[in-house]
Amino acid sequence: MSQLYLYARWVRIWHWINALLFLTLMYSGASMHFNGAVLLLDFQTAITVHNTAGILLTIGWIGFVIGNLISTNGRHYHVQLKGFIGRLIAQSLYYGYGIFKNAPHPFHPSAEAKLNTLQQITYIGVMYLLMPLLIISGWAFLFSVYLPETLLGIGSVWVVAMSHLTIAYLLVLFLLVHLYIITTGETVMTNMRAMLTGWHRDSHQETEG
Amino acid sequence: MSDRNIDSRLKWTAPALAAGWFLILSGLVGTHVACAGSETADNKACLRCHQMTTLAYRDPETGKIVDLSIDPKALSHSAHGELACSDCHAPDFERYPHPQRLKNESLSCVRCHEGQDDAAERLYRFQTIDEEFEHSVHATSDDPKVAGFSCHSCHDPHAFRNSQVGEDIAQIVRADNAICLSCHTKVQDPLRDPHTWLPNREKHQESVRCLDCHTPVSEDGQTVSHQILAGNDSNRDCVNCHSKKPQLLNRLYQYRSETDLANQGWVSKALFNEAYVVGMSRSPLIDRLALAIIGITLLVLGAHGYGRYRAHRRSKEDQA
Repeated sequence: MSQLYLYARWVRIWHWINALLFLTLMYSGASMHFNGAVLLLDFQTAITVHNTAGILLTIGWIGFVIGNLISTNGRHYHVQLKGFIGRLIAQSLYYGYGIFKNAPHPFHPSAEAKLNTLQQITYIGVMYLLMPLLIISGWAFLFSVYLPETLLGIGSVWVVAMSHLTIAYLLVLFLLVHLYIITTGETVMTNMRAMLTGWHRDSHQETEG
Repeated sequence: MSDRNIDSRLKWTAPALAAGWFLILSGLVGTHVACAGSETADNKACLRCHQMTTLAYRDPETGKIVDLSIDPKALSHSAHGELACSDCHAPDFERYPHPQRLKNESLSCVRCHEGQDDAAERLYRFQTIDEEFEHSVHATSDDPKVAGFSCHSCHDPHAFRNSQVGEDIAQIVRADNAICLSCHTKVQDPLRDPHTWLPNREKHQESVRCLDCHTPVSEDGQTVSHQILAGNDSNRDCVNCHSKKPQLLNRLYQYRSETDLANQGWVSKALFNEAYVVGMSRSPLIDRLALAIIGITLLVLGAHGYGRYRAHRRSKEDQA
């Protein structure tokens, strides 16, 4: 059994704060979007909670980007083009087929590469494409008076609202898949434990789960 | 306000003067003497009489009390607060008793406002307002109640001022709707109010102006059209505000957003705001599509998990 320290403390702290903010934003966002339905927040409360969490999420995202720029964690988001397609197919085949045949994991994390190719492109898409768009559209809502009257010939508030909504739904989808995929480690808890302790266990002898 | 026929203000007759004098004299008792913002001798002379709250006469033709009083404070804060009375009214009014020939004095808002040097740069073009008003139900209706309807019927020239960004929205809405409600009394009667179909009626009346639904969305860049629509032609579609219709949504949202900013500054605006219109981000298509995809994803993940569980059981059995 080998243990690898893959998740620095700042990454773990950021991750769990971000997770909490995600849940808060989903709940308060749904409370605004589906206002009046049961178990949701009061409208005015939802607005304040959503705005506050949104600002904190923005700060967290900026912290994440800066952290990746100044620490070694950033290298996990550099795509190695060599063998990219092959690795992507291997990982997809594993999730779609091999996993049901108890096939071995095609990827073993290391200090140089902790994310498999599928994870890597998903996280790049989420953190460097969807998150900035979500944040920009969120702030655009707040300061829409500074936007032009129309964007692409449509009222700008509407464009902003639909972008924010679509991205929010995509991120809900991401969260669901993310929650499931973390159970596909060596054992159900392997990946979750790694994000809590920082240490990733990689052992072919482990049988629990 | 319904008793206050501003248009016929200038139509007085000799018998009415006697009644007027009586009211003037009674009004002098306890009248607080205040001056208008524009401290011209001209205004002072006029306001000496016209600031009295009781200055009025009964129109012998209609039998209605015609209020001739002007609140100097409201005048000084109004859009016309900087003007001298004689800028709009004939200079001959300085003579008292006012000459008979002035009783039909007509005042043209459009001519004066379009004559301003910066008329073209202003938010509202009075030419456009005039054209819109021509199509307004207040101009086209043959109901005798709207006979002689003019700008002054809603905009008291001695008190009217545009709402300013930064003012309390609830206050603006209240003041704006009060103008409509002063004639449309039926709306205030719960048994006769034609708005009973409207969900959250009271909330709507507190948050939006009558005009927001009872005018078409203007295409000319002016915030609100002066083409007031008849009840049946007005917006009854919730989705026009509570969803995508960009102009109507923008009209509500942007104004509120600006007001929030002016009132609270950037930081507070980011945390608290009144701009959000319920359902503005609602898109049935995106909602259905997204919820369907999320549902399918959950099913697939559940099935995937079950497959993994079976594989795990199989491997345990193999080991055994």
